Amino acid sequence: MAVSGWFVALVAVGVVPIAVTGQPVALAAWLAFVLVLGAVDLAVAGSPRQSELARELPGRVRLGETVESTLYLTNTGRRRLRGIVRDGWQPSAVALPNRAPVNVPAGERRAIRTTLTPFRRGERRAAHVTIRSFGPLHLLARQATIALPGAITVLPPFNSRKHLPSRLARLRELDGATSVMVRGQGTEFDSLRDYVRGDDVRSIDWRATARRKDLVVRTWRPERDRRVVIVIDSGRTSAARIDNEPRIDTAFESALLLAALASSAGDRVDLLVFDRRVRARVQGASGAELLSKMVSSMAPVDPELIEMDWSAVPGLVRSVTSQHALVVLATTIDAPGASRGLLSVLPQLSRKHTVLVSSVIDPAVTDATRTRTTREDVYRAAAAERALLDQARVAAAIRQLGGEVVTGAPQELPPALADRYIALKAAGRL
Amino acid sequence: MSTSPPVARQHVLTPTTGRVLRRSLFWIGVVAFLAIVTLIAAGTAGSSVGGTTLDSENAAPAGARAVAEVLRQQGVTVTATSSLAETKRAISDPSNTTLFLYDDGFYLDNEQRRELATLASTLVVANANFDELRDLAPELAQAGYVGGPLKADCDVTAVRKAGTVSGDATGYRIVDNSSSITACLGSGDGVYSLVHVDRGATQVVVLGATSALTNEHVIEQGNAALALNLLGAHRTLVWYIPTAADLPESTPQDLGSLTPPWVTPALTLLMLAAVAGAVWRGRRFGPLVIENLPVTVRASETMLGRARLYEKSSARLRALDALRIGSVQRLATACGLPRTATVDDVIVAVASVTGMQAAGIRDLLVDAVPSNDIELVAFSDGLLELERDVSVAVRP
Repeated sequence: MAVSGWFVALVAVGVVPIAVTGQPVALAAWLAFVLVLGAVDLAVAGSPRQSELARELPGRVRLGETVESTLYLTNTGRRRLRGIVRDGWQPSAVALPNRAPVNVPAGERRAIRTTLTPFRRGERRAAHVTIRSFGPLHLLARQATIALPGAITVLPPFNSRKHLPSRLARLRELDGATSVMVRGQGTEFDSLRDYVRGDDVRSIDWRATARRKDLVVRTWRPERDRRVVIVIDSGRTSAARIDNEPRIDTAFESALLLAALASSAGDRVDLLVFDRRVRARVQGASGAELLSKMVSSMAPVDPELIEMDWSAVPGLVRSVTSQHALVVLATTIDAPGASRGLLSVLPQLSRKHTVLVSSVIDPAVTDATRTRTTREDVYRAAAAERALLDQARVAAAIRQLGGEVVTGAPQELPPALADRYIALKAAGRL
Repeated sequence: MSTSPPVARQHVLTPTTGRVLRRSLFWIGVVAFLAIVTLIAAGTAGSSVGGTTLDSENAAPAGARAVAEVLRQQGVTVTATSSLAETKRAISDPSNTTLFLYDDGFYLDNEQRRELATLASTLVVANANFDELRDLAPELAQAGYVGGPLKADCDVTAVRKAGTVSGDATGYRIVDNSSSITACLGSGDGVYSLVHVDRGATQVVVLGATSALTNEHVIEQGNAALALNLLGAHRTLVWYIPTAADLPESTPQDLGSLTPPWVTPALTLLMLAAVAGAVWRGRRFGPLVIENLPVTVRASETMLGRARLYEKSSARLRALDALRIGSVQRLATACGLPRTATVDDVIVAVASVTGMQAAGIRDLLVDAVPSNDIELVAFSDGLLELERDVSVAVRP
């Protein structure tokens, strides 16, 4: 049962008859009047239990976008159902409007539309629907909560896709620039075309020139069908927030941009999200299906507060591919102590594969080295310099063990990783 | 789009009224049981403790119900009164009435006491205080507390029959011997616990040995004889213990008589409206939906912690060295030196680029030890300045 503001006002209005008559007995009379009125109202109100509910939901939504959820309410009772309906979504699903007025005659059905703008990745759930049914006088209401589970998968936003067109253009330039590029490993013969001034004379195909009686050069294109294995660390260091974005989200953005780029360059991309067990795996997908599978598998993954098990990573990579591959490790290189696990398995990986370690750096640390006005600032700058030094030491160790390092602020890391991929591809190191 | 199919039998989470009642049946039972027990206890409990001292209806140790009951059995009409008006009504035959007065709460004023003095033929004043003595027996004065058993030593019938009277008592001293006074139960030094003043028409007995009348002590020694003979001398005994009803009605008009009669019900109604308002705003619109929140770890926390550690332990040299290493690396990059360049190479390069003394640069980059925080800040500023100078100097 619930009370409306009108009921409270009705009780309070009783002051008037009490003051006018001046009789204490008017209090009892008024209370009896109010109670009778409320009881009648409550008895006539439609039963919220006698209603059938169904929810219509889109399965997925990208983080930051808005979708509509439709709730169908069928009044199976004998009386009209007037009142308010609340669709019980988790707070981070941001369901608006939160409460919807309804007026359903007996035996009819109404749709209640709610927009959802989730602000957190993963699976957002709805648990139940609460119906508050008022009587015709709108004094008292019957209330019931009916279980109606629902869920919507909130995908990573892939904001870095804005970098994709420029990187794809550079990938195409790679195609056209092949005749001036030094031939070498990792390039494949593509086609023959007329010689243009400026082309490398070493690319002239003399046999074809003799046939055509005109200078003909061979063109080359970057190698295709290489393997790219992305391993994302979902251990405790990935939970840290940099610029109000967890490291793992930056890693997801980087992985999505790299996968989009590599799949359009004709490479095969596999994804693993791992801490002590595989928390997401995308293998053998290509084209549009690849990105779709990647975002779906990434959506429910949150960092676990456990240490990453690096010793299992070489085995995992081997299970994905036995050929040479570009292995991208999206993790954190903060301190030599914390990166010991990573450093110990790097030789195993770099012996067979090209290893690229991508790590987010905190712009706050870089800023702190430059702010030195007060005494506290100087100490903080010293600590920041020390942190940068630690990172540099780890990066140097990784390079020594045959890996490559890409670092950047959260906004800059995805394009930086894509650029490094293009550079490796141009150099034929995939 | 996925549509959840309408379930044939929907699961309603809110319990029905009947279920709520059934579930809370145990607690309703407990409350009802406690209420019944309380009612029974309140109904059957006797006034075994407390009560008014020397009240003829009080069965507690300090009461005097035993004396009153025995007197009733002996045919004396015992009437307990609590106000002067009631007392006047109760006395129909003054010549054959004993009036017992015990005013422990000082309720009576002078006029009321003087009125009392003429109401009955015998007036027994128990534990007379200063005012009572002044109005009823001006011949006497209070003489403090008297203990121990008191021997009969006079010709008053009740005392003579009692022989010995026990218990605590108040003593009185005779200050004016002009009237016909019989002083009994003396404890020496002219102090007596029972004084009989004969005024002809009325007899006044000032009784100090009041504990002889209480239920606790009445059966000891000759107490019973004293009490029964003293109070049972006439056919009627009026047992008067003044109460608040004897106070004059003085306050002219209080707040209650000034407020109109509808104000209290109106306030009650507004209070009920406030309760209804609380229910209106407080009723939850369905239960909360639970959500696991992600952990929030700020990445710069370790850096800030290290900075606080440096500061707390005044590790100035260590802090300055960290700043120096960063500066040296940036200077080397600016001067176009390889990663493997030594500090000396950097110093030489910086000196040649800026034209400063190599010794001064070496001091800033390697040698100087800060002795306090001011120097540390100064060195830090010097490093920044050097970096700026070099970047300006190498700019094409």
